[in-house]
Amino acid sequence: MSTRSGRVPRGRARRRVGTVVRLIAALILAGGLYAAFAPGVYAEEDPQLSQAAKDGKAIFDNTCVSCHGRNAQGVTDRGPSLIGVGSASVEFQVTSGRMPLARQEAQAERKPPYWSDPEELDQNARLLGQYIQELGGGPQVPDGNLRAEGGNTLARGGELFRVNCSSCHAFSAGGGALSSGKFAPSMAAATDRQIYAAMLSGPQNMPVFGDNQLTPDEKREIITYIQNLKEDKDPGGWGLGRIGPVTEGLAIFVVGVVAVVFAALWIAGKS
Amino acid sequence: MSTIGSERSHTAGAGDTAHHSGGQPDIDVHDPSLSRFELVREGARRDGVEIVHYAPRFPIPGTKAERRIERTIALLFLLTGVAGLAFVVIFVAMRFAYTPGTNSAKLFTPLLGVTFGVALLTLGAGIIMWAKKLLPEEVAVEKRHLGGSPPDDKKIMGAQLGHIAEETAISRRPLLKGALLLGLAPVGVAAVVLPIAPLIKDPHGRGDPLLHTGFDPEYNNGNPVRLVREDGTGIRPDDVSAGGQMTVYPGIPHGATNFWADSPTLLIHLREADAAVARSNLARIPLNAPTPDNPDGGMWQNFIAYSKICTHLGCPASLYEQQTNRLLCPCHQSQFLITDNAKPIFGPATRRLPMLPITVDDDGFFVARSDYQVPIGPAFWERS
Amino acid sequence: MRKRKFDLNALPAAAGNEIDDRLHAATPLRKLMNKVFPDHWSFLLGEVALWSFVILLLTGTFLTLFFDPSMEETVYNGSYTPLRGVSMSRAFASSLDISFDVRGGLFMRQMHHWAALLFVAGIIVHMFRTFFTGAFRKPRELNWIVGLLLFWIAIFEGLFGYSLPDDALSGTGLRIMNAIVLSIPVIGSWIAFAGFGSEFPGTEIIPRFYTLHILLLPALLVGLVTVHLVLLLLQKHAQWPGPGRTNYNVVGERMVPRYASKMGAFFLINFAVIAIMSGLFQINPIWIFGPYKAAVVSAGSQPDWYVMFLDGSARLFPAWEIRAFGYTLPPIFWPAVVLPGILTVLPMIYPFIEARRLKDRRVHNLLQRPRDVPNRTALGVMAIAFYVVLVLSGGNDIIADQFSISLNATTWAGRIGLLLGPPIAYWVTYRICLGLQQHDREVLVHGVETGIIRRLPDGRFMEVHQPLGPTDEHGHGQLEYAGWAVPKKMNRLGALVPTVKGFFFPVERPSRTPIGNGGRPVSTGPQGQRELEEAERPR
Repeated sequence: MSTRSGRVPRGRARRRVGTVVRLIAALILAGGLYAAFAPGVYAEEDPQLSQAAKDGKAIFDNTCVSCHGRNAQGVTDRGPSLIGVGSASVEFQVTSGRMPLARQEAQAERKPPYWSDPEELDQNARLLGQYIQELGGGPQVPDGNLRAEGGNTLARGGELFRVNCSSCHAFSAGGGALSSGKFAPSMAAATDRQIYAAMLSGPQNMPVFGDNQLTPDEKREIITYIQNLKEDKDPGGWGLGRIGPVTEGLAIFVVGVVAVVFAALWIAGKS
Repeated sequence: MSTIGSERSHTAGAGDTAHHSGGQPDIDVHDPSLSRFELVREGARRDGVEIVHYAPRFPIPGTKAERRIERTIALLFLLTGVAGLAFVVIFVAMRFAYTPGTNSAKLFTPLLGVTFGVALLTLGAGIIMWAKKLLPEEVAVEKRHLGGSPPDDKKIMGAQLGHIAEETAISRRPLLKGALLLGLAPVGVAAVVLPIAPLIKDPHGRGDPLLHTGFDPEYNNGNPVRLVREDGTGIRPDDVSAGGQMTVYPGIPHGATNFWADSPTLLIHLREADAAVARSNLARIPLNAPTPDNPDGGMWQNFIAYSKICTHLGCPASLYEQQTNRLLCPCHQSQFLITDNAKPIFGPATRRLPMLPITVDDDGFFVARSDYQVPIGPAFWERS
Repeated sequence: MRKRKFDLNALPAAAGNEIDDRLHAATPLRKLMNKVFPDHWSFLLGEVALWSFVILLLTGTFLTLFFDPSMEETVYNGSYTPLRGVSMSRAFASSLDISFDVRGGLFMRQMHHWAALLFVAGIIVHMFRTFFTGAFRKPRELNWIVGLLLFWIAIFEGLFGYSLPDDALSGTGLRIMNAIVLSIPVIGSWIAFAGFGSEFPGTEIIPRFYTLHILLLPALLVGLVTVHLVLLLLQKHAQWPGPGRTNYNVVGERMVPRYASKMGAFFLINFAVIAIMSGLFQINPIWIFGPYKAAVVSAGSQPDWYVMFLDGSARLFPAWEIRAFGYTLPPIFWPAVVLPGILTVLPMIYPFIEARRLKDRRVHNLLQRPRDVPNRTALGVMAIAFYVVLVLSGGNDIIADQFSISLNATTWAGRIGLLLGPPIAYWVTYRICLGLQQHDREVLVHGVETGIIRRLPDGRFMEVHQPLGPTDEHGHGQLEYAGWAVPKKMNRLGALVPTVKGFFFPVERPSRTPIGNGGRPVSTGPQGQRELEEAERPR
């Protein structure tokens, strides 16, 4: 198994009510704690943690430990080890609400984050990230502006987007289906940092785009293109969800054919 | 649906002239006492059309209801004018140059559509109302002749055709028939060959393009071809993270352009455990299998490269799922298992994605050991 | 010099005389103007296609003024900033110019595209009208075949147009077309190389498609549309049965002015619908797709809706490849070459199959209600079910994504649906047709349900029925079924509330009499009792 053994069992325990999940989580937490203590080797406190990481560890032990285990070493069939995933991964998963996971299914979905207050969310995500970072290193999202400037930014970003991203997320960044119930999510709600973090860390089935493959500048160009694409109002009227021929075909029947048939009924009607 | 019978009863008083049945002798059209409508009806009758019911919508002209309809139609036509004017003004005066974001230029096309559409819609609606509400209502019956022409005409036509054959006497003159056929045959062949022949190209001609891609050393002076990015730069193993993938092109001139549309390749860096599975599966396919002088087989360490061109219909199969190690083609949903020589595991594809045998050259860049060993992309007849 | 008096009022007559002296047109023109057309909304569906085609010719001509069908590489330098500096073909660059740098160009492009979608949609609904009403029967088989040819040419015309801008979506479509041609046994690769001029993509295909798209196929379409209309004029339009309507006449309105003005107005309304859609709904945003690059693709890549059924069949067909003696028959050959072939030939010979099966050599100018021919109607609905499953499967990845269904499950649903859906559709339609027929006969025999419940002297209750015409001694109606709608509600008989005229709002006042003078309610004596027993008797 790889370090990211986050392969989710394909069983569809879908319609579990939240309380049941929490109950099971609590039971497994107990088991997980036991398992974490049993090897005894990694159980010691690491004295070299910074203050921020210690704060992060406190949050971790409160909200994440049930699945990812003590010191983030993972729990078999519950959650993968987080050693070496880096703060980028933490930031992506936590700020997009994917973690904590609501239930085990084909893939984690974006949902309202654990902390509803954006500042608190940001703060806690960074603390958690710091903790995971100090545990095992890994990719980090740089601070500061993640947009690129300059004349051909959009064009270059667009070319990179179309070669690397659109095959799964579609030209419109609206997402698309993958095999067996998995999907590439829509980027409609994705922030600059989330997109950057996703490219760096390759969450779930997304391939990793390391800094040697797409340089930080190239990542910034892609982000600039995506955000511009999302904000750019369609010049030709309503974009029909930018889905393409499927919604266009639907529109010609629902609007076009219905309208002309209505007109035909009026013309041929007796009165 | 109302019927003729009922409409007749509706207008018993209105159009007494409309109730003549057919079959009367032609009237004298120069009779000055005839009204215009009587002439029209006579014309229709001569064309086999009987106007059986004809009545004004408003027997008493100028009623309130009639004027209301007139006003409505007039309003529609005026709206046409207003919308048409708005269209012209918008078309001529409005700024439409592309500007990113939300701005008034984005309203140019919608406003054109709405004003133009409303102008046509109101014009059309006005005409329909005019035709339906103001024009006198009419029911006309046209005779229809069933089947073929009258027997006399059929007979005459038959005789005429037979006569033509007789005149040329083609059956009596076998020499002429044969000579004509012999003369026409080459002309016919020429007529077919002339437009088609210039189009014919031997698909297995120069370079046998269906069997070779840009990774063939032949296109690189016999040297192994590097795997390069779109901008032509080479790729080192460090450049692709584990769990990552990169679209690569042959490192030859114009290698990343559509001229080499058969060459885009997906270079995948498998995670350690997945790579072990992939390596153990290599032996299943002789072409990819390790050999004594090449113990890695088609792979290089944890790197594996497959043609990006789907073996079903040629779309780029590039939806790489790094945990399940599946590669999905977005056009027809064929799914390939990366860790088992890209075996098709779902969907309409029948063949594995061809593997590009790779290694790393002395400068530390990925190169293709050879070209693809089977034709890439969709299958065709002479592909074994 | 004496000034000749110029009489303005006499001018039209004089001009008419002069023209007729030269053209001898008075009689044929009058014949044409007196042509009678029957009036029914479903007869206007073909006009939807006709008028869309006219709009396509108008907008298409405009687009040719600015489009450059060349696959030569160029660097875009127009006003759409996100693509500035990107290398692309001149075809794509000029399509972008039409969209962003030609005043009204985007509007024209969108009208052209929407009109194309409506064109094929109009053809299809018109075709189903023709099929379900039996309008394809003798003497109109030839026009049915011409119509089918028009349908297929229209699809190819649309497909070629979709391929012209050389955006990433159309390039992907071209590549699929190339693969489909390659799959043809023996000569596939030869045809592909003849068409593309080299291995895919080459530099020839877009210029060639352009010639086909703006010259050859439109000329064919114009020619066949003319044949279609001339045949219609010669054979005269079929009509619904009804009082006064026979196989030997056409009942309706003369062409000029009523029918012609309505036709003209319908053209305007078609144009208006397309214009409004083109303003409000964006179609085919090629600037988002970007230029075609062989390595670029997008999730959710589809052809336009009218080709989607072929894309669906390509998705559903199982991975069955035939390899023998060193040769390959790719699986795509069956769903993308053989299936369209069957779909072309089968409907073309259907009129003859049906006539042969029914040993029917008569001429039919009266249409049939779909319920009266359950077998044909069920076959038609079966074909629709087959088609709809294929179309939906052509977008199954979008369906999977939008409704959070597994992609693999949608594929299997399509495969199973394609096998089970049509027979089920056949059976259900057949039963519905029989049920509707039965109800018609019931109303003819027993009359319309009035909703009035009577209590019989012996205490039982029964509903009073209003017979449609004179009754026999059992109280049963004697009207024959005439192949046309049987009134089933009292207000259809002018009773209770009469049929109220007016399309948008009533133009006449409903009468106040509860029962009209059309007939009297059936008596409730022994006759009514018999009726009740009649109704309870098992059939």
